[in-house]
Amino acid sequence: MLEINDVSKNYKGYRALKQATLTLPRGEIIGLFGENGAGKTTLMKCILGFLNYKGQITLDGHPISRKNIARLSFATCEHSFFPNLTASAHKAFYELHFPTFREKRFNGLMTFFELPTHKAIRHFSVGQKNQFEVILALCQGADYILMDEPFAGNDVFNRADFYKVLLGILEPTETVLLSTHLLEEVEQIIGRAILIRKGEIVGDISIEALEDSGKTLIDIVKETYQYKSDRVVKALSDLTDER
Amino acid sequence: MTVKIGDYTPMGIDYRQEMKWICIGLCISTLYSFGFLFSLSNYYHALFTTINQKRVLIKGAFMPDFVEVLGQHLIGFFIVSLCMIALVIYHYFYHYQDSKSIYLMRRLPNRWALLKRCVSLPLFSVLTAILMALFLLLFYFGIYFWVTPEACMTPNQWHKLWHIYLGV
Repeated sequence: MLEINDVSKNYKGYRALKQATLTLPRGEIIGLFGENGAGKTTLMKCILGFLNYKGQITLDGHPISRKNIARLSFATCEHSFFPNLTASAHKAFYELHFPTFREKRFNGLMTFFELPTHKAIRHFSVGQKNQFEVILALCQGADYILMDEPFAGNDVFNRADFYKVLLGILEPTETVLLSTHLLEEVEQIIGRAILIRKGEIVGDISIEALEDSGKTLIDIVKETYQYKSDRVVKALSDLTDER
Repeated sequence: MTVKIGDYTPMGIDYRQEMKWICIGLCISTLYSFGFLFSLSNYYHALFTTINQKRVLIKGAFMPDFVEVLGQHLIGFFIVSLCMIALVIYHYFYHYQDSKSIYLMRRLPNRWALLKRCVSLPLFSVLTAILMALFLLLFYFGIYFWVTPEACMTPNQWHKLWHIYLGV
C-alpha cells in the first residue's frame, strides 16, 4: 500500500501541495484530476522522491528509497526515455536495472502498437513516443504505475486502444495512478477518482459510489470546482456588448 | 574482460565523438609541451660563446632552474582537465535534452548509475592527462639533467620542482 500522509510542498513561498493525505491500495486504477497547476505532477514527483517535501510517503510502511523505488514506475508527458536509443536498447537497459522487467508484455505491446524496435525513439511521432513511454512504465515490473498525462498528443483512437490494453493486461496487484484531463474517457476504466485543487485533495470518490449517486464524474468535478456554467455566456455577452 | 565505454557514459550520447575531442586535446597538449625542448635549447646555447670559431662554456654561466625552463609548457593538460569539469556538467544536462531521461536515471535502484555515467569518462580523461603530464615532466627533467653541463647546474633541482608543484 502506498500511503501519502500530510504531504506539503512549497515552491518559493507558493504552496504547491497542502497537507495531502491519500492511501493507494494494490490493484486499483485511480484517476487524478485537477486543473493545470493544481499539484498533480508535484504529487507524483514527491512520491518518486524527485522533490523534497514535508510529511511522509511510505510504501508498505517503508519510506521510498533505492531499496523499493523499483516498485514504482513513471510515465510522463515530458518523456523519460533516452531519445537517441532504440526500443531494443531501452529493453536491455530496463532488464539490467529492473530485475522484474516484463519482457513478454514489452514484446506484446510493441507488436500491438506496431512500434519499430530498431529505430531511435527521437524519430518516432509524438503519439508513438507517448505509447513507448507508457509501455516502458507498464513493463518495468512495478507495483505502482504513475502516469502523468501520458496521452497528451495522442489521437482518440490511439487513446481508446490504450484504455483497452490497460484494462486487459493489468494484474490484480498492479495499481495505476493516472493523471489526466480526459475525464469522460477515463471514467470507464478507473475505479476511483481523486480531485486536487490548488494543492489540496478536495475529492476522493469511488466510481461505484458515483454510479450509485446517479452522477457522472464531470458532474462531481463541476460541483467540486464550483464551475459556473453561465461564465462563458456572460463573458461573451460582455465582450460583444455594444457600447 | 572487455570494458564497454558506452556503459560509462550517458545513454545514447556520442561518446566516440567526445573521446575523439579528448584525444585531440591531449595530443595538442603534448605538442605544445614540446616547446620545452625549444626553450631548453635556447637556454643551453646561451651558456656558450664562440672563441676562435670554437664553442666555449661561458665562465660563471648558469642554466636556469628546470621549473623556469619548463614554464607553462604543460598547461595544455591542465586546460584539458578543466574542460572535463564542463563535460561532467554537459553529461548531467544531457539527461534534459529532448526528454527528461533524468527522471529515469534518478529512480534507478542503483544510486550510483547517474554519477557513474556523468563522471567516468571525464575522470578517466583527467587521470590520463595527469599521467601524461607526469610522464612528460619526468622525461623533460631527465633531458634537462642530461643536457645541462654539470658546472652550470644549480643545486636542489628536484626539491625546487616539488616545492613549486606540490608546495613541499
